[in-house]
Amino acid sequence: MTQQTATKQRIKRIRLEDALNANVWDVDAKPHIIVDSEKCVGCTNSACTYLCPGGCFTLLAGKLLYSYEGCLECGTCRVVCPKDAVTWNYPLSGRGVQYRFG
Amino acid sequence: MDPPSATKFDVAIVGAGPAGASAAYTLARKGFKVVVLERGRTPGSKNLFGGRVYSHPLELIFEGFKNEAPIERWTKREVLSFVTEEGIVSVEYASGSSTSFTAYLSKLSAWMASKAESAGAILVTDVRVDDILMENGKAVGIVSGGDRLYADVVVIAEGVNRLLCERRNITPQLSPEEVALGVKHVIRLGTDKINDRFGLDSNEGLAWFLIGKVTDYLPGGAFLYTNSTTVSLGIVVFLSHAMKKVKRHIYEVLEDLRTSPPFTRLLEGGSLVEYGSHLTPEAGLKMMPKKLYGDGFLIVGDAAGLLINLGYTVRGVDLAAFSGYLAAEAIEEAHSLGSYTSHNLSCYERKLNDSFVMKEMKRHDSVQKLMSKSHIFELYPQVLVGTTKRLFEFEEASPKLLEAAKESLKGKGSKFKMLLDAITLMRGP
Repeated sequence: MTQQTATKQRIKRIRLEDALNANVWDVDAKPHIIVDSEKCVGCTNSACTYLCPGGCFTLLAGKLLYSYEGCLECGTCRVVCPKDAVTWNYPLSGRGVQYRFG
Repeated sequence: MDPPSATKFDVAIVGAGPAGASAAYTLARKGFKVVVLERGRTPGSKNLFGGRVYSHPLELIFEGFKNEAPIERWTKREVLSFVTEEGIVSVEYASGSSTSFTAYLSKLSAWMASKAESAGAILVTDVRVDDILMENGKAVGIVSGGDRLYADVVVIAEGVNRLLCERRNITPQLSPEEVALGVKHVIRLGTDKINDRFGLDSNEGLAWFLIGKVTDYLPGGAFLYTNSTTVSLGIVVFLSHAMKKVKRHIYEVLEDLRTSPPFTRLLEGGSLVEYGSHLTPEAGLKMMPKKLYGDGFLIVGDAAGLLINLGYTVRGVDLAAFSGYLAAEAIEEAHSLGSYTSHNLSCYERKLNDSFVMKEMKRHDSVQKLMSKSHIFELYPQVLVGTTKRLFEFEEASPKLLEAAKESLKGKGSKFKMLLDAITLMRGP
């Protein structure tokens, strides 16, 4: 076995969904992220799709889809959006991600 | 909201992180009637950081800090690594003494808030503050949903996302140039494996910084901190650069790091127990609000932009906590003057300026500016690794140091520029 395959087998990549599942969550029924997708039309940057660490933003056939369930509450989407399309607030009543280590 | 709206407090503090909890603890001990409003279910449940805290300022604020606080390990090994596709060059410092420790911020914040509660502060959790209550241009309390809570003075410790300050036009909207994004894994390995693999005793901690390929050569870096039974492994990228240059999901950058040498070997058999992210202030003095005080309010911690990133180490918690402590002193002084006017609260800025907080912020401002320049993070690792590779990996003719350095510098830019950067790093402009 080559060195490379040996190290490859030592550590498996973890999918983002599984990494998010390592956390404790109390997801709100009401979204705390609202995106005005019409403003996204013509956005060439799409920074939210690769910089949101929770993977909450995806492009599907050129249209922006978003979710709030895996939001890690960092606020990156709000800061990087060049179109000011993201209305972002913290979840109410302590809901959302529950950091045990932080 | 739990405490009846009719109750009026001396001080309302927004946020029970290190800054808010330190202010609450100090004020409660001075006899002020304090309420802390925390949006999380428990204090700390919305806090996240890299993993290291400088201890001294916290020892000044909290009685019994060293014995009671949830300290994981005292940092006794420091490693700074430059990483490229070709290899790694590291500088290591080991010492018997230590001024910083590794910790979990959720636990540290919870501990600080419990100290504030023991001192008499009232902590209300699960409450998101939506606005600062203003009357005639003066802060007189806070608004949460339909509830109002009145206080003589408000301490804004809302963190890096300054939603309240922005709403009240105290600060402009946060821009990508002002912040960096940190993403972090907490990986459980167990005490024995950590001690064996990182060469540590049970109470000894390692703080490891890496720059170069670890962030796809973007300004920022990677870090690893050892806790008692886990390690914190993460990356930090300056958002303005990441927006222009990162072409894949930021999580993949972190996963590439975790699954590449030397981490494959060091973290083998570990299990992921938490994945989180947070923004950090990175613009030095530029991100600070023009005034950290106004009629009836003070701004502390991350909201005040208090964080120093020197490339080889980052400090934020101690600055945040100490700003909270100084805000408490300022409130006491303003109280003795009879009112919480902007004028009376301005002593907060003077106290900050006289303390290590602003002295350090100012002293390191030029280095912080340098940290946001992209060439540092590519050129330095390339030259260092390139030179070292030439020095050690030869077949017949072994090069002299200068020859190896010259060879690795070829086509990589101006030597003069590198020299200037090195001087800035060492002594400021």
